[in-house]
Amino acid sequence: MEKRVYEDFDGYDEMVKEIEVSRKYGVNHSAATHEADQYIRLLHPARLKLEVADIRDISPTTKLFRLVSRDRYLPPFQPGQYIALHVEAEGIRTARPYSICSSPNQTAFYEIAVRRVPGGLVSNHLLDRVERGTQLEASGPAGNFYFNPLFHDPTMVLVAGGSGVTPFRSMVLETLESALDRTIHLFYGSKTAEELLFHDEFLDLSDKYERFHYIPVLEEPPAGSTGAEGFIKGTTVLDAVGDVEGRTFYLCGPRAMYDFCIPELEALGVRRRKIRTEVYGAPLKVWETPGWPASVKPGDTFRVSLEGGGAFETRAAEPLLSAMERAGILVPSLCRSGECSMCRIRVVDGRVFQPPGVPVRKSDRRFGYVHSCVTYALEDLRIAF
Amino acid sequence: MERFDAIVVGAGNGGLTAAAGLAQKGLKVLLLERHNIPGGCATSFCRGRFEFEVALHQLSGMGSPEKPGPLRMALESLGVLDHVEPIEMTDLYSVLMPDGFRLALKAEKEATVLLLQERFPAERDAVEKFFDLCYRFANELISAFYFKDPDTSRDKYPVLYEYAFKPACEVLEGFFKDRLLKAVLSVYWGYIGLPPTRMSFAYLALLFFTYMEFKPYHFKGGSQALSNALIHRFLSNGGTVRFNCGVEKILVQEGRVRGVLTEHGDRYEADHVVSNVSQILTYVELMEPEHVPGGVFREMRGRSLSPSAFTLFIGLDCEPGAVGITETTNFLLDNLDFSDRVLNQMQALDIEDQLLVLSCYDVADPEFSPSGACQLNLVTLKYGEAWLRVPPTRYFETKYRVAESMMRRVEDIFPGVRAHVEELDVATPMTHMRYLGHPFGAIYGWEMYPKDTMFFQPGRLSPIEGLYFASGWSGDCGFQPTLEAGMSAANAIYQKISGE
Ligand SMILES: Cc1cc2nc3c(=O)[nH]c(=O)nc-3n(C[C@H](O)[C@H](O)[C@H](O)COP(=O)(O)OP(=O)(O)OC[C@H]3O[C@@H](n4cnc5c(N)ncnc54)[C@H](O)[C@@H]3O)c2cc1C
Ligand SMILES: Cc1cc2nc3c(=O)[nH]c(=O)nc-3n(C[C@H](O)[C@H](O)[C@H](O)COP(=O)(O)OP(=O)(O)OC[C@H]3O[C@@H](n4cnc5c(N)ncnc54)[C@H](O)[C@@H]3O)c2cc1C
Ligand code: FES
Repeated sequence: MEKRVYEDFDGYDEMVKEIEVSRKYGVNHSAATHEADQYIRLLHPARLKLEVADIRDISPTTKLFRLVSRDRYLPPFQPGQYIALHVEAEGIRTARPYSICSSPNQTAFYEIAVRRVPGGLVSNHLLDRVERGTQLEASGPAGNFYFNPLFHDPTMVLVAGGSGVTPFRSMVLETLESALDRTIHLFYGSKTAEELLFHDEFLDLSDKYERFHYIPVLEEPPAGSTGAEGFIKGTTVLDAVGDVEGRTFYLCGPRAMYDFCIPELEALGVRRRKIRTEVYGAPLKVWETPGWPASVKPGDTFRVSLEGGGAFETRAAEPLLSAMERAGILVPSLCRSGECSMCRIRVVDGRVFQPPGVPVRKSDRRFGYVHSCVTYALEDLRIAF
Repeated sequence: MERFDAIVVGAGNGGLTAAAGLAQKGLKVLLLERHNIPGGCATSFCRGRFEFEVALHQLSGMGSPEKPGPLRMALESLGVLDHVEPIEMTDLYSVLMPDGFRLALKAEKEATVLLLQERFPAERDAVEKFFDLCYRFANELISAFYFKDPDTSRDKYPVLYEYAFKPACEVLEGFFKDRLLKAVLSVYWGYIGLPPTRMSFAYLALLFFTYMEFKPYHFKGGSQALSNALIHRFLSNGGTVRFNCGVEKILVQEGRVRGVLTEHGDRYEADHVVSNVSQILTYVELMEPEHVPGGVFREMRGRSLSPSAFTLFIGLDCEPGAVGITETTNFLLDNLDFSDRVLNQMQALDIEDQLLVLSCYDVADPEFSPSGACQLNLVTLKYGEAWLRVPPTRYFETKYRVAESMMRRVEDIFPGVRAHVEELDVATPMTHMRYLGHPFGAIYGWEMYPKDTMFFQPGRLSPIEGLYFASGWSGDCGFQPTLEAGMSAANAIYQKISGE
């Protein structure tokens, strides 16, 4: 073979010797792939194979599901995170996120609390069709709504509305069980007293632990009630927490609660970066969102064709992701709120509506990629993914 | 079963340019990517109002439209430049120490030489000579190899012959006495992954040369913008891409590639397959053992895995100047020790006094983050193995503990940063492993000891006919090399097919 130029470079012989030695005494890297892969699976299993171990009614509209793992392993999670349950309901394969409401110290099971949404596909399926022993599949824990010790304050002000209390139960349990050096104020807004989830448990805990303060706020208080009523107002919060400095605020509940509470908090002087919000799914009435074209009615139907063949119908008010799932087209999803980009698809042709503020990468916007869980057809479309 | 001229496995830099290059030549190409988005390392993610850049700190080899570098020419030829907005950075890097030491080098040779001479008057001559040496080395290397001089000799290329295999530190020791100066000039080891005692001088010289001649660059919208532009060109030229579609097997028959099998059980046929994933994964996971020639394992045994990274993505609710950040690229030094101890630091779980790189893209491009805000990408090199010893239940607290010590280092230099944090996410070596699939999360492919440098790399070829590699594992790592590796794989396949 012809001699290569670099064979004359100073030190070449040593390089050759080193290569030989290292081949002789080197390691077999195939193990590295397997070992690390194994570890990642412990943190982020692709799919959780779950079984319903127990179901309890915890309010007239809500059940608590205790889920155990069929392969005897549940990955750790950060309180506040959710899992996406994958189900087939009424012949449609779909998924919905549910916050884990059990303590992260509980490694035997996860608990989720599911509230019935009138007309809702998955909540009704879970409440009516799922029983003890039913097998379910879920994503691993996900989401970014949790205490971050690097920049959150150890005094946490939690503001919940309705079923939005679920992630907070996990945070409260962890803090108290693990004796973490944190103080928690939990404001919990609900229409009626009977719809307060975990109310007795929170009362007990607040009796037992000085660092946990529980303030239920009822929109429709029973006669003679002395507690806070109406919405969770700035003054209610200020009265209880004393000072807004050195506190991080966490909000989880329906969009209307955020629209009301964030300005209230800001009026108290809370800086925006101190207010953490959980995502809340797709908008309930997207056609009322600013920017929605008046010419398109929620019931208008459009035809969506896929690059590479196939087509389906969608209603203007329906997220493309749901329409695809109805048509039997499987697109991965996780948060179903526009946040995680899992359901990213490309709109090749046609106008769509994506509410303002959806975190889509700048260059994705430029090339027509959308998050299909919060994207709506405004005319006939061609899409690709 | 659908048939393609070529199939590309992985949509990282190398996979993207390979696919885009092949489609541009009119071939029928399928690109398969495990994730739902192209880019591999070259990507971004959103948190709150920020879109965080994952990997790119300083893009090399771009050059300006007036003085194009090799990468600009390559991207131009792919038709990508109409779809991205490159941003030039005028500063090379700055070095900062907690004792108040600050020195900002410019991406311009004369200016940097003057600056260093002023700061280190005792080393006046050495400074000038050192940069001359770097330039001569780079120029000789380029004419001998890039332009393939048929007639090379020691007389013609004395610097190349003498310095090609020398460790950086030996050269620096030969030139300078001042420890601080040596430290300032060796921080780019962070881009190579080995301490100056082990890193080849060749790479140090090339980095100085290429960043000074062609300037460091970034893109509007970050490296994801480049990845998306490459996919756009690929699709415009008739390519087919499938996301969420990992390759499970590369099919081989009688020593020849036949196609691939995906995780969804679909088979696609092709006589040419480009692997954008590591050789380890390709040979160990993606192929049946009986198809893998024994020699490839012997060759891999001689190599070692590069470190992974521990990264903080920080969104601040203020402009960079408000916390004292004035340069895009900042190397934070705690001491002047560049001995082999650095290797131990990289092996340890915790971060103490090791080198940190802090990039603030908003200095060069005020539109990078929302107005009035900015983002920091703070990274240090760490081997992934230590993380396997963290019980999964303690993973989160460990991650925050390590991140906390990194934050303190930043506060030592930019006090008050923490009060402005609006978003903060942490990536460990396990995060890099999860998203890239590389063993132990190695971000720089194989380690680059002098015995592994450009002359001794596995390259794009495989003993299996029809299989090509284009990634940070087949040659040099980094954006420019991997983007170029994909292009040369595309050319090789095209020549093969059009020759047949
Ligand atoms: C991060 C995250 C965590 C969540 N955690 C929980 C939890 O712990 N417990 C829980 O019960 N739910 C939780 N949800 C809501 C849950 O994911 C489903 O959206 C909910 O169960 C309704 O699903 P569905 O299929 O029954 O309704 P769909 O069929 O999806 O919706 C039917 C109709 O109801 C409307 N609708 C959807 N959701 C609501 C709602 N919450 N309130 C009022 N109307 C609605 C829709 O706009 C639509 O018009 C969470 C959502 C997110 C994004
Ligand atoms: C934190 C960090 C900082 C960096 N800083 C810089 C810098 O400042 N400058 C610089 O030049 N370089 C930098 N780099 C290095 C540079 O990003 C990489 O060298 C380069 O991007 C690697 O490209 P690649 O072609 O090897 O593909 P990779 O980015 O490694 O991508 C491989 C792709 O293959 C996919 N894949 C894996 N397995 C399969 C499968 N079975 N089927 C289908 N797809 C699969 C993966 O999902 C991934 O998308 C940095 C890297 C990191 C992580
Ligand atoms: S599923 Fe998360 S963005 Fe759509």
